[in-house]
Amino acid sequence: MQRVPALLVMHADLAAALLRAGEKVYGRIEEVDLLSNEGLSREALEHEIARRVAGWTAGGLVLTDFWGGSCHICGVAAARGRGEIVIMTGLNLPTLLDYLHNRDQYGVADLADRLRTKGQASIRIQRGQAA
Amino acid sequence: MSWLLHRVDDRLIHGQVVIAWGHRYHPRRIWVADDASAASPWERDLLSSAAPGIEVRVLTVAEAAAEYGAEAEAPGGAFLLVRDLRIALALVESGAPVPSFNLGGLHYAPGKEKVNDYIYLDADDRRAARALLGRGVTLEVQDVPASRSQALTALDAECAAS
Repeated sequence: MQRVPALLVMHADLAAALLRAGEKVYGRIEEVDLLSNEGLSREALEHEIARRVAGWTAGGLVLTDFWGGSCHICGVAAARGRGEIVIMTGLNLPTLLDYLHNRDQYGVADLADRLRTKGQASIRIQRGQAA
Repeated sequence: MSWLLHRVDDRLIHGQVVIAWGHRYHPRRIWVADDASAASPWERDLLSSAAPGIEVRVLTVAEAAAEYGAEAEAPGGAFLLVRDLRIALALVESGAPVPSFNLGGLHYAPGKEKVNDYIYLDADDRRAARALLGRGVTLEVQDVPASRSQALTALDAECAAS
């Protein structure tokens, strides 16, 4: 199975911080590309994402922070006409870790489905115990 | 209700608009006045999907100017977005009596000079800004509601020059 590549596109320094946090849990992380939207117009961000994913002949994942943000919108625009690329919003640390553990085990679409399920399941609440 | 925000932002609909300004004013509609976007069904669909729960109207500048007054009679409030100052001026010159534009994001591009971290202008931008100011349109620089609003003329002396 070919490794599914990923590009993290997020606000400010979030992608770099998330990767750094991921390394504390997973160990050294290789072959994950990072991009901040900071200071970039929509046109510039879209162009940069398109440039980064141009070599993904078998597809890949553009992992972004929130739906409707410039990272998401520009990811969708950059991947226009490329159905082999999946844009995902709501990336969190558990989802990133699951990607790292499974990026060599699944195809793009199946991995995206798995990450969505894992990411949603990772958000849980637990009340403090009564004294 | 009527217009809640007129904004110049090269990202059009994005997080600051939907999350920050959206939570401040709770618009029922977002108008995007942009000829290029209006001409593309794909772009219209993309913009419409970017603001869940809010009606997004993607119009040409001429359409937005023609329908601008009707918004005052519509229920709920609305935002109006344009991608640059030249389009803002075109909208006003087409007959939309916009009292004020919020300048929220005009990012770096070759040939543009920095005004602050999120506003960069070139000579054409400044010409458009001066023309808008000359028509009595206020230009306020503010990316999100929590930041301080500043007059463009206070930040950029070339825009203040008549």
